[in-house]
This record gives sequence, structure tokens and C-alpha cells, in this order.
Amino acid sequence: MALAPLNEDVTFDQLTLDPYPIYHRMRRETPVVRVPSVHRTFLVKFSDTKMVKDDPVLFSSNDPRTPMQPAFRAHTLMRKDGAEHLAERKAMNPALTPKVISAEWAPLYEKLAAEYLDRLPKDGPCDLFEALCGPLAARILAHILGIPEATDEQMMRWSQNLIDGSGNFAWRDGPFEITDKANDEMDALFDKLVERCRATPDASALSVMVNADDPIPMSQIYSNIKIAIGGGINEPRDALATMIFGLLTNPGQLEEVRAQDAWGKAFEETVRWVAPIQASSRLVTEDTQIRGYDIPKGDTVMTIQASSNRDEEVFGDNSEEFFVFRDKNPHQAFGNGPHHCAGSHTARRTVGKIMGPMLFERFPNMRLPDPAAVKWRGFGFRGPINMPVILG
Amino acid sequence: MVKVTYIAADGTETTVEGKTGDSVMHTAVSNDVDGIVGECGGAMMCATCHCYVDEAWTDKTGERQSEEDDMLEGAASEVKANSRLSCQIKLTPDLDGLVVHMPEDQF
Repeated sequence: MALAPLNEDVTFDQLTLDPYPIYHRMRRETPVVRVPSVHRTFLVKFSDTKMVKDDPVLFSSNDPRTPMQPAFRAHTLMRKDGAEHLAERKAMNPALTPKVISAEWAPLYEKLAAEYLDRLPKDGPCDLFEALCGPLAARILAHILGIPEATDEQMMRWSQNLIDGSGNFAWRDGPFEITDKANDEMDALFDKLVERCRATPDASALSVMVNADDPIPMSQIYSNIKIAIGGGINEPRDALATMIFGLLTNPGQLEEVRAQDAWGKAFEETVRWVAPIQASSRLVTEDTQIRGYDIPKGDTVMTIQASSNRDEEVFGDNSEEFFVFRDKNPHQAFGNGPHHCAGSHTARRTVGKIMGPMLFERFPNMRLPDPAAVKWRGFGFRGPINMPVILG
Repeated sequence: MVKVTYIAADGTETTVEGKTGDSVMHTAVSNDVDGIVGECGGAMMCATCHCYVDEAWTDKTGERQSEEDDMLEGAASEVKANSRLSCQIKLTPDLDGLVVHMPEDQF
């Protein structure tokens, strides 16, 4: 057989600015395609991306030689498989279950959301991305993780630094110098907070890991918290911003969401429509084939869940549209397989059940005067980078 | 083929035919049965395929594993003695006619 076709036209900038028309065409013409500008083989169909994620032996996450290693100064669980991955993941899981979030944390999150809503102007123009989405996501995460002493600014900066470092495939020094500084700051804070967790245990991730009967090594506890910082702010921030856009540009649906209290559905549709994490990489461990094309051992395939989430074969003719009330919504925004997003329950509750409904309740007449003024960015992570609404 | 009946929290019954060796989760998802999500595909990472095995069948489906217990800790709905992750129940000819009940919420 042959290798998958090459697409030498698509540039990284195009994928960052507006990937959806590109994916639409790829699904039709080249569902398996090598993209030299990203050095990856793209998989853009629902069944292919699911198959890859569900087979961690053939398609491994285990790759210590990515920029994530220097960025986190650790080989993190994101880049491990099997028993190693499982042990580290299970150590943190108890802090992220629906029960813990509903029983222990929901009242606090509602209080925090109310406080951040109080800070907004009563009416008039406001960029909600900057004023609400980022800071509130950062504050709630700081509490989940057990590091409330970290400021919003620190949380957001560390998160962005870690993301930039992890994506530093050009292996330039600059981003790693920045992540070194962020790691020093985080380590110093965690050192202080570990003692407190031992003295007064609570349901936070740091406390649960530190006080476990058979704890994982402290270095892994720290890197787990860092993974959660790197992967736990952008996603709820972008999901909230995307939900605001989706509902304000579809007022009929917003009205129906309110009437039916269908915020959970609105959240699911939001992350289907524009998945905050759009793509993931997997290392191919044996020569294999996908859709009849040879995929050699050592190749890195990229599952484009952003595209799978709009696959016409699964989501029908309106797959490109934001439509909350679709019959089925088996999106892949949280991934599949052993690396299925550990924060999915947290995201569904904090964004879907708390932040979204509280915002729309507080500002019932909120509107988006110029949807075209909203800028969308990102290939690996994607969302709006501004949300200029009129609040009242 | 092995018949499995899924009973939703609102009482809706759906009976489908599954293959020996497939899981109860996989059989639900591939037959579009609402109420079993199975988001992680059976890797025991999401607890969105929680089900209650009908009392008449608990002997045949067997005990749940300790890893399953850990994951069920995170289930969205109440965990009972007959709670299982349906991804961990594999269909055998003995299970022909199996009845499972689905919880109100999976996430």
C-alpha cells in the first residue's frame, strides 16, 4: 500500500486562524493526510480518532522526548501509558469526582462566581474574556487544586507559560527559561502548602495526593498539579467564552435553554462545536494501516477531535452549526481511552452548571453587538480571545 | 447473539442483541441506547457507563473488581450494592436475557 497523501498547502497560520473549512475539506477528500507544516499525520474522521485513542498500545502517549519534558521539568502522566500513568492519575482522581465537586465545592464555586460577577460593570460594554472567563477559571482551579494562595495572575501566567513551553517544538531556549522561572515559583509555593495539607487535610487535589495511604512520589504530585494548571484554565475559560458566543448569536436557542434549564446540553454543544483542545498526538509503535494507508512505526499521528466533532457521518448536515438541541451529542472534546480528560466532571459542573447559568441570569439583556469582532485563535487549543458584549 | 435489556431511570426499556465478548457498555453505545455514555471507551477512566445489574442477574455478572470500585467512587449517581461499570461486564452466552438498570445521570 501507499503512504497517506501529502498536503503541502496547509500552513500552521491557516490552521491557527480558521481550521474548520480545512478540516471540512479533509474529511471529504483526504481523511488521512500528512501535513508537513506540522510534521504530523492528521486523522480527521470520528471513527479514526476514537480508534486511535482507544488503542494505547499501538498508539502510545509515552514519549519523554517532547518539549513537555523541559517545560514541566518532568516526564508527566500526559506522556505515560499503562500502570505508570494509571497510578499517577488515580492519585488525583478523588479530588475531581462529581460527588466531591457537588458536595464539597459547589457552594464555594457559586460564591466565587458571584464575587467575580459583582466586579463587572452593571451595564455597558465589557470584554468578558478578559474580565471574567480567565480570572474565574483560574480562581476556581486554584481551590480545586488546593493552592488558593496563588493569584489569578500567577495561575494564568503559569498556565500559559507551561502551554507555550510544551508547544516549543522548535526547542528555542526562551520559552524554557520562562517555564524554569514559573516552575521555581510553583515549587516554592507547593513546598509551603504541602505542610498545611498535612496539618489540615481537605478535598483538594494537593491534599488528597499528599495524604494518600500510599502516596506517589512528591515530584509526581507536583507535576500532576502543574499538568492541571497547564490544562485546567484555558479549557474552562475557552468553553465559557465559546458558550457565550454560541448562545448570544443564537437567541432562540438561548431562550429555549433558559426555559428548559438545558445548561448541561448547552455546555456539551459548546465543547463539541469548538473543542477547547482540538488535537492530540500519539506515537505509532508498530507499522499499521488506517483507511488502507501505511502508517509506519515511529510516525506521530494527530487526532483532530475538532474535526471529528463536526463529522457529518455522526452529527449530520448541521454538524458545522451550533445547535444545542441535537438528538445525540457523542462528542470527543474530552478525548477517549485511558487519557480521557480527568477534569471532565469538573468542567461540566463548573462551566455548565455554575458559571454559564449564573452569568446569563445576572445579565438577562446581555448582547453581542458585533459577532464579527470576536477573534478566534488556536490550532492545538482554540477559543475566542475577546468577547466584547454589552452587559445590560 | 446475547439479548440485553436496558431500563432507563424513567422506565423506558430497550432490548438489543450483543455479541459474545463485547461489553454491556459497548453493546449499548453501538446500539444507540441512551443512558450509557462510556466516554472513555472502556478504559475505566470516566465512570459514565454506570449501571445497576438487575437483582435476578447479579450472581451471573459476578463481583466488581477493586479498580471498578475506585472509579465508581466518582459516579454521578448513587452507588448501590449492584452498581457496576458496564464496560467491565463482558457478554457470555450465560448472560442471554441480561437486564440492567441505568442511573438518572452519568455526569
